[in-house]
Amino acid sequence: MESHPSDPILLVKSLSKSFGGIKALDEVQFTLHRGEVHVLMGENGAGKSTLMKILMGLETADLGEITFAGEPWASRDVRDSLAKGISMIHQELQVVPELPVAENIFLGRESTRWLPGWLDDPGIYQKTNNLLTDLGMTLDAHAKMKYLSVAEMQMVEIAKAISHDAKIIIMDEPTSALSDKEVSTLFGIIKDLKSKGVAIIYISHKMDEIAQIADTVTVLRDGKYVGTKPASELDQNALITMMVGRTIESLFPETTGQKGEVVLSVKNLGIPGKFQDISFDLSAGEVLGLAGLMGAGRTEVARAIFGLDSLAEGTVFIKKKKVTIRSPEEAIRHGVGYVSEDRKGWGCIPGMSVQHTLSLSSLRDHLRGSLINGKSEHTAANRMVNDLHIKTASLSQSVLQLSGGNQQKVLIGKTLLAKPEIIIFDEPTRGIDIGAKHEIYKLIRQLTAGGIAILLISSELPEILGLCDRVVVLSQGRQTALLSREEMSQEKIMQHAVHS
Amino acid sequence: MIKTQSPLLARANRIRSLGIFGILFAFVVICASLALTTPRFLTVPNLTIILTQVSINALLAFGVTFVIITGGIDLSLGSMVAVTGVAAALFAHPDTYPLVVPLLVALAAGLAMGGFNGLVITKSKVPPFIVTLGTMTIGRGLALILSKGRPVSNLSDGFNFIGGGQVFGIPFPIIILVVVFGLCSLLLKKTIWGRYMYAVGGNEQAARASGISVAKIKMLVYTLCGALAALAGIVLTSRITTGQPNAGQGFELDAIAAAIIGGTSTSGGSGTMTGTLIGALLIGVISNGLDLLNVTSYYQEVVMGVIIIGAVVLDGLNRKR
Amino acid sequence: MKRLLLLFTTIAALTSCNQANDDAQGDTPLIGVSMLSMQNEFIVNVSDEMEKKAEAVGAELIMVDAERSALKQIEQIESFIAQGVSAIIMNPCEVEASSPAVTKALAAGIPIINVNSATATKPTAFVGSDDVESGRIAMEYIAKRLGGKGNVIMIHGYMGQAAQIQREQGAREILTKYPGLKLLAHQTGEWDRAKSMSLMENWIQSYGNKVNAVFAQNDEMGMGAVKALEAAGIKDKVVVVSIDAIPDALRAVEKGTLDATVFQNAARQGSQAIETALKIIDKQPYEKEILVPFQLVTKENVAEFKK
Repeated sequence: MESHPSDPILLVKSLSKSFGGIKALDEVQFTLHRGEVHVLMGENGAGKSTLMKILMGLETADLGEITFAGEPWASRDVRDSLAKGISMIHQELQVVPELPVAENIFLGRESTRWLPGWLDDPGIYQKTNNLLTDLGMTLDAHAKMKYLSVAEMQMVEIAKAISHDAKIIIMDEPTSALSDKEVSTLFGIIKDLKSKGVAIIYISHKMDEIAQIADTVTVLRDGKYVGTKPASELDQNALITMMVGRTIESLFPETTGQKGEVVLSVKNLGIPGKFQDISFDLSAGEVLGLAGLMGAGRTEVARAIFGLDSLAEGTVFIKKKKVTIRSPEEAIRHGVGYVSEDRKGWGCIPGMSVQHTLSLSSLRDHLRGSLINGKSEHTAANRMVNDLHIKTASLSQSVLQLSGGNQQKVLIGKTLLAKPEIIIFDEPTRGIDIGAKHEIYKLIRQLTAGGIAILLISSELPEILGLCDRVVVLSQGRQTALLSREEMSQEKIMQHAVHS
Repeated sequence: MIKTQSPLLARANRIRSLGIFGILFAFVVICASLALTTPRFLTVPNLTIILTQVSINALLAFGVTFVIITGGIDLSLGSMVAVTGVAAALFAHPDTYPLVVPLLVALAAGLAMGGFNGLVITKSKVPPFIVTLGTMTIGRGLALILSKGRPVSNLSDGFNFIGGGQVFGIPFPIIILVVVFGLCSLLLKKTIWGRYMYAVGGNEQAARASGISVAKIKMLVYTLCGALAALAGIVLTSRITTGQPNAGQGFELDAIAAAIIGGTSTSGGSGTMTGTLIGALLIGVISNGLDLLNVTSYYQEVVMGVIIIGAVVLDGLNRKR
Repeated sequence: MKRLLLLFTTIAALTSCNQANDDAQGDTPLIGVSMLSMQNEFIVNVSDEMEKKAEAVGAELIMVDAERSALKQIEQIESFIAQGVSAIIMNPCEVEASSPAVTKALAAGIPIINVNSATATKPTAFVGSDDVESGRIAMEYIAKRLGGKGNVIMIHGYMGQAAQIQREQGAREILTKYPGLKLLAHQTGEWDRAKSMSLMENWIQSYGNKVNAVFAQNDEMGMGAVKALEAAGIKDKVVVVSIDAIPDALRAVEKGTLDATVFQNAARQGSQAIETALKIIDKQPYEKEILVPFQLVTKENVAEFKK
């Protein structure tokens, strides 16, 4: 069969897939053309990853058909997909840190010479260098992966995909760990790939990125196809409406503006090599922002206050009393809660159910004698699921099976059940969809209305501007500004953030 | 009549959710085939003997299950059995001390060795594999020092009752086994400490950030493991009426095998006492059955290995589904 | 701090070793001894006797434990050679695998005496007992007790070790002599009391009253079998015989629970080994092979063996 350049490279029709009783994909359609950057959007749990897994041969569809380059096709496994020219750059990069760039690119396809199994190293390095030059990447083929930055590793993954002669590259939130400069390099590479006729499926939640690179946008919601539109026809509000299914008037709810007494006060905090001289007050009912560039020391300050790292200098006062917090256990006892930026590393416990995760920090509230009172634990967990609108099949479902936004809500629920008076949110909306974001913003407002003090770390300036009453700006471990709501602006924060 | 789910099916699903479906299936199949091949197998006396023989390994396996759930390992079990057994025997000669003395001495020795493991592991951050490998050797040496390299025999009747006596016709070790199994299950499933063990093994960082004192939990599991090893040491010493400095060699591997066959994940965070008990029973039944069938020991070892791998593979397949 | 302490102890240990060496340069002869396993009561008895004897005659001993590893034993002998000992006494771990140690010692011109068990390569001298004989004595006793007719069970030691092979060989010689004796089952109890007890319990289930006699290749396993038979209430119907005559077994023979054991003279083996070593060092005539005889211990003569 002859294929025409304007024919779609990939055509998905009425694809359905169920897990147990839940329909992850319900009659979904999707059309992808050569040389197109096609953004796939949807809240977590909308079915994006299931669709990608089917394309990569990691899952099989129950119903529906896929046409690849004009021919009906269903991927049997990853090898099959790779052979067809479909590659995926995962959010968590899949690299072998101890091996050099070249060997990562040709992992599993090493060329040999002289003897079976005898590696043809010069060949591999030659091919890698050609490939990298071709893509305009300035990387050393001999460098071990572990010495590369995240952005560079991503480039290696892209190079690997191209070396598979990729016709379609799927990128799953590729910019989530990149700096602005790295993002523009990535976009340059994407444009280059486009001009070579490679089609790109780009999964992202970031509106500004979509405006920059997308040709077409397809939105999924609850496993169903919502619509496909040219990117030029869409603005932020239209997209949110498509994704959420309702209009959100304002992303950031209004503040009540009521503040109480100072509950947390830190003076001249410091850990050599990480940060120094950090001082601020936080009042009940207040949201204090902690802004700065990546590596400015924001998370480190939060970790130290929560007792995960030990402070070298400075004092912490909670409700005007001087305290020494040596462990999270003590922090929780003093009424401090912390929601980590790293859900996988510091939040979720594999194999643990929603109920058990929710109650983990407050188990002592459910003791009857020395045994756990399952009923009271269940009631508390159930309350959180309802209050925070956590979407889960049941309380006994494993927390890792939930979508990112719901995992985050469970972790927030865990912190709330310990009845904190001060909560530190570290990038609470990273990697979660706009609907869940909005819910978390509303929750932060509810909490402050209830008199809880919040320290908010965020890299998204709109978030800081929309939620915070005041903001502390850090730059290279030093406090460069403390701005009031009136003084705050995107420019001003950035100015202080890059200040050295 | 239409039924959405039969009680039997519901039960099967619950067992499946425990993660011990594969092993339970293997256990039933092996018992059934033994019952068919040898009429001696399915008799009350024989089953009693199996339970008695299994008790020591099961006690150790319960202990190591706690440890493995927290993501650790304890290789010093066998040595702890020897040390505590010899320690008990030294104080269990007739007409010397009251019966509680040897029991308390053994328990103290077990708690001390387990506590030592826990302390070094939490304070030094040296991997448990290496620390307990060290205490394994230290313990063996201590047992030889305490006993001067000779078996300690001539023990009181009261002491010998623990491993050899019967209550209402049930051998005492079986009663110990049942009681300890109940307590361990309760500890693991119904107490804060048990829940924290799963959390620590599942994700140590997350457990810490949830306000759990990881060090305390680790201390607890290794000390508990030492205490259970002491109990096993007492039962063994009493059963063979001698404190043997070289007793318990390789016991740690049998105990770890029982836990793993029973569905405890070596990477931590999951496992059940029921699974471990079935794992220990499976090992006991196989060894008893092969003896009944008079299979040469050379083949016994091969069969045992095949069954261990088979049970775990079966379990893995079942989980994937 | 800890490291410092470790350093000190190491230095202290090293210097004390050197002193031992310096002494040997003088008039006291230095003898290197490598024992099969200090976790075995019989071996410990042999080595205790050696130390006693050495002290009495004024010889210096370096006693090391090979921990049942032939490889370790060879390394120990190499180190003895390097230290320039006057003679070596070795209690071999294995027949074949420990042979290189003998070859090396002989090549270095250092006399080597095997004690208790043999190696394939002939040493300067051998002091010990013929394990085949012990198996014969034990099984002969069973044949006598059963009147040459009945069902016998044999519990082996670790399969493939010299003692196991030879004791089995001796027992089987007698079994062929009496066609009325039938070997019902045999299995390894790994020299271990608890293992052999479990084994016997399981056999009682499968053979019940058919068993007339049990031959265990050491006392530990014999005691385990006795325990199992007593628990099943059929000890009085089954004859149990084992080898080594450890104190526990002697007590059992006295009580009548263990029918017989075979006495291997640890004291004689130990002292003869030292004596032979000294004779060779002093260039006096010596016997190339000293066989310390086994003795059957029953209720009648047990008093002679109890200390």
